[in-house]
Amino acid sequence: MAKKQQNSNEDILSLANNLRWELGVDFHDTVIESIYADASRIARKTVRTQGEKPAYNWDFKIDRIVTSRWLGFPIMFLLLALVFWITVSGANYPSGLLAGLLIDSLHPVLKNGATAIGMPWWLSGVLVDGAYLSMAWVIAVMLPPMAIFFPLFTLLEDFGYLPRVAFNMDSLFRRAGAHGKQALTLSMGFGCNAAGVIAARVIDSPRERLIAILTNNFSLCNGRWPTQILIATIFIGGAVPAHWAGLVSAGAVVGIAVLGIFFSLVVSWGLSKSVLRGETSAFSLELPPYRPPRILQTLYTSLIDRTIFVLWRAIVFAIPAGIVIWLVANIHLGDLSLAEHFIQWADPFAFFFGLNGVILLAYIIAIPANEIVIPTVLMLTVLSTGLSGMGEGAGVMFELNSVTDTENILRAGGWTLLTGLNLMLFSLLHNPCSTTIYTIFKETHSAKWTLVATLLPIVLGFIVCFFTTQVWLLFFSHR
Amino acid sequence: MNSQHDCENCPVHHRENLIRLGIAMDRVDYVVALAGNPNTGKSTVFNNLTGLRQHTGNWPGKTVTRAEGGYSYAEKRYKVVDLPGTYSLLSTSTDEETARDFILFGRPDVTVIVADATRLERNLNLVLQVLEITDRAVLCLNLMDEAKRNHIEIDERNLSAELGIPVIPAAARQKEGMPELIAAIEEVASGRYVCQPHRLKSRSPKLNHAVSTLAQKLAAQFPGLPNLNWVALRLLEGDQSIIEAVRTGELGKLSTGVLSPQP
Amino acid sequence: MFCVNGNPLNGASKAHQSNCACVYLRNTTDYSITAALMILNIHPGLSLLAGILVVAVLAWVFWPQNGLFALIDRLRMNSRRVLLEDALKYLFDCEYKNIDCGLHSIAGNLHISADQATRLLDRLRAMGLITMKDQFFQLTDSGKSYALRVIRVHRIWERYLADETGIDQMEWHGAADRKEHRMSAEAADALAAQIGNPVFDPHGDPIPSAQGELPEHKGQPFSSLEEGAIARIVHIEDEPHTIYEQLVALGLYPGMQVYVLDVANGKITFAADGEECVLTALFASSITVELLPDQEPLSTKATLLSSLQVGESAEIVGISPNCRGQQRRRLMDLGIVPGTPVTAELRSASGDPTGYRIMGATIGIRKSQADFIFIEKKETTADEQPA
Repeated sequence: MAKKQQNSNEDILSLANNLRWELGVDFHDTVIESIYADASRIARKTVRTQGEKPAYNWDFKIDRIVTSRWLGFPIMFLLLALVFWITVSGANYPSGLLAGLLIDSLHPVLKNGATAIGMPWWLSGVLVDGAYLSMAWVIAVMLPPMAIFFPLFTLLEDFGYLPRVAFNMDSLFRRAGAHGKQALTLSMGFGCNAAGVIAARVIDSPRERLIAILTNNFSLCNGRWPTQILIATIFIGGAVPAHWAGLVSAGAVVGIAVLGIFFSLVVSWGLSKSVLRGETSAFSLELPPYRPPRILQTLYTSLIDRTIFVLWRAIVFAIPAGIVIWLVANIHLGDLSLAEHFIQWADPFAFFFGLNGVILLAYIIAIPANEIVIPTVLMLTVLSTGLSGMGEGAGVMFELNSVTDTENILRAGGWTLLTGLNLMLFSLLHNPCSTTIYTIFKETHSAKWTLVATLLPIVLGFIVCFFTTQVWLLFFSHR
Repeated sequence: MNSQHDCENCPVHHRENLIRLGIAMDRVDYVVALAGNPNTGKSTVFNNLTGLRQHTGNWPGKTVTRAEGGYSYAEKRYKVVDLPGTYSLLSTSTDEETARDFILFGRPDVTVIVADATRLERNLNLVLQVLEITDRAVLCLNLMDEAKRNHIEIDERNLSAELGIPVIPAAARQKEGMPELIAAIEEVASGRYVCQPHRLKSRSPKLNHAVSTLAQKLAAQFPGLPNLNWVALRLLEGDQSIIEAVRTGELGKLSTGVLSPQP
Repeated sequence: MFCVNGNPLNGASKAHQSNCACVYLRNTTDYSITAALMILNIHPGLSLLAGILVVAVLAWVFWPQNGLFALIDRLRMNSRRVLLEDALKYLFDCEYKNIDCGLHSIAGNLHISADQATRLLDRLRAMGLITMKDQFFQLTDSGKSYALRVIRVHRIWERYLADETGIDQMEWHGAADRKEHRMSAEAADALAAQIGNPVFDPHGDPIPSAQGELPEHKGQPFSSLEEGAIARIVHIEDEPHTIYEQLVALGLYPGMQVYVLDVANGKITFAADGEECVLTALFASSITVELLPDQEPLSTKATLLSSLQVGESAEIVGISPNCRGQQRRRLMDLGIVPGTPVTAELRSASGDPTGYRIMGATIGIRKSQADFIFIEKKETTADEQPA
């Protein structure tokens, strides 16, 4: 009986197949056309427009201005620059406050508390110096800029301006085989790459969405700006006359960011021409009407949906990393710690790329958040060079208020202008942080693309650093 | 995509299947699905109904993950499922599959279609497609305030007569029309309002012939199936989830009895 | 001024911290990179060369399509099996079209010598896939179902490439020719399910079902039509490649309506999409058509949407069949169907996507897409119909 049921089910399917052959190609079109025919008949019966012209004039006027040949791009750059400026200048103070509270004040209290209740030194090291400190660092550096950047961006989005940016920028991204909306995921990436990857959801064409996800890491994120600024101030600003230092080092940082955009476009182009050639592509871009943004709701949702969400993911990854950082600096094999073993082993290899073992180790163990790279570099440099009088002890990340002190530590670690330059390049071109990697996996559901997104920038980074170093040495080493 | 067991965005949400999916449904009386084009304020309607605060952006296609929430009204508890915003249910994108499969296999008690009143003709495309699948639907004509500003007038009674379902004008951002919408949902869910949904007729004779041939066969095999022509059409389009449903006989479950009428 | 710190281990506790403000180094080796490389004694020019070499080799190994990996992948294909399957496919094609098939036509089609063909056919006979019947070869049942499986994979793959990828139509056939020998029937079924179980390939050929059913051969060669006939192209043969290339270049596609204007001197003159074309009999025989007995010829040549200037309005006539798959469905979902009014509203600051007002919404469409959309310009100005 069941068998018979099964058979007649198959009969229906085979009948359907035969009917499809008879119907020929593309009857799908006629189905949709018949639906639209009914829709337009009903609409004609029930919808009336009063007055001479539909009054979407207001929208139309704004659109005329923001997409005009002369004003379109200046308006866009001004608005985006304004958003970044508000973010950078507004985040300074709360960041310092949070750092003062969580790192300078609370950390010693916790440390002393742990000692007071008789916690063994290694446990308080793992928990307070490792887990707590890295978490505190991530919160202090990450939270304020994101809490400013995301709501601002969301306001522009709610108003309806962002689709116009995509509309204006599409031509550039089309040539790179990408979607105009990638302009937005790219800008979002300047805030946080994980958020940029999530934002790629608005790209509805599978291939272009994948390209946007894979190249988002080339946007210099919020966690990497402080590194760039610090290193540029020390090494690039230090290499030119003092009255030029500020301008030149700022120019260098912007140059790195622009280089990131350049890589983003070039890699997009390469991907769309090679491995992603076979992916589906379907472009469409609806320009929604402008709507007055609702500020309070925007603040609330962008804080919950984006800021807290991304921050939470970052904290979840930072805690285990903090533990690992502390452990590699404190577990000893023979008379050297694991960290020192690695640094000595990696140094010769790293020198080829103009880097050093400390930098490589820092980028490996500080993978959860770019924010903790510099503190880790400083800690490891002190550890491996045996500097005393600096830092807080093995495995305890630290940062210095004085740029000169930081410079002294780095120079003692053997850093030169070339190292600084390479670090800036490597900070731009290395694997995404683990929050972003995890987000990429969640968004693509694919281990393969996650792997590509992880390895592609780091391979590029090594190539770029290698050639920079060797060309540099060719010209400047014979002094 | 093709397996009924991969349940992350698995469509089977009919009441008897829900416990299996781990969604607590013990105290829910009705399931309401929210469908609609992208950027019609669907998420705002969802937030108004459920009191949740899903992010709503002025971007087509903001809601990607399916959101769920609930409310209770007149001593009944309603579960609201926000489907991904789509222009159509006929293509093969994942979003459209999710939405379509939920409306078909999940058999919500009511499907609320949120439409943009300023672009009714465009939105009717989806409305008509939904009405092909289900006969329990409510049209929420959202953004009536914008329509008014643009001097667009819609004859709601006529529209309701044409479509055969309740039509509720609303302005979700101003929270206007929500009580009426909730009342209309209740009427359809309880069976006090019997929908007579508009069904498409104007197809080519060749296609009509194929559809009716197949529909006859289907009627013999799965008696009581409410949307024969639509299923036949989907088979002709090679829709994998419908083919699977025919092959396994899962389709038959949809025909066993119209949803229980109200006590 | 460097001082040597006696204790190499700075230790876990802070006990070792002194207040010394100067910088201590463990040893006096200058750690700078220049020095390190000089110690290793590698000239930067040399390592630069080595680096370029390594990058070049890596690029060559991983280059898609032409790289070493791709090459190895291609070589791994079992050439004997390929030949065998190609022979079965050819034999099936002959039977489907009721052409007799002899040894020499097989050898010619597979580009092998008559000797090789004889050996190949012997092997096929030994495997029970073909039989011999007065000088001509015929497929056995198992041979036929084998051939159908291969054809199914080939055509599904072509459909997939056409609908879901950006790969150029000249490459479909070659890609499918390679794919058909390595894709399992199960994988092909899964792919078919994913792309909506297609029943025709992009050339208009029916795709055999998984159970091995295939509809009767329909239609007639285009070269057999007479003056005044109206027909629809159902198939364009993609072999030989050179002929196919030219037919595609003429803009012919399956589903296109043709109206024969004149047949003379072995040449056939016809109107297709409003344009007059001339084909020789050889070329015309590569096209299969289906007669449309009572149909009015479509004559008007449609204008393209991309030609619409900002502020102008028109009515949509259709989407070119060369716009396929998701892209086509997306456009239709957005309301681009025959009869819809459309107004070009604004142009992007960079000039390319143009915003068109369609059914009350502004949709940005790229020029390359607008080239696929046919319109008919209206005399009236920008006044829209009610949304």
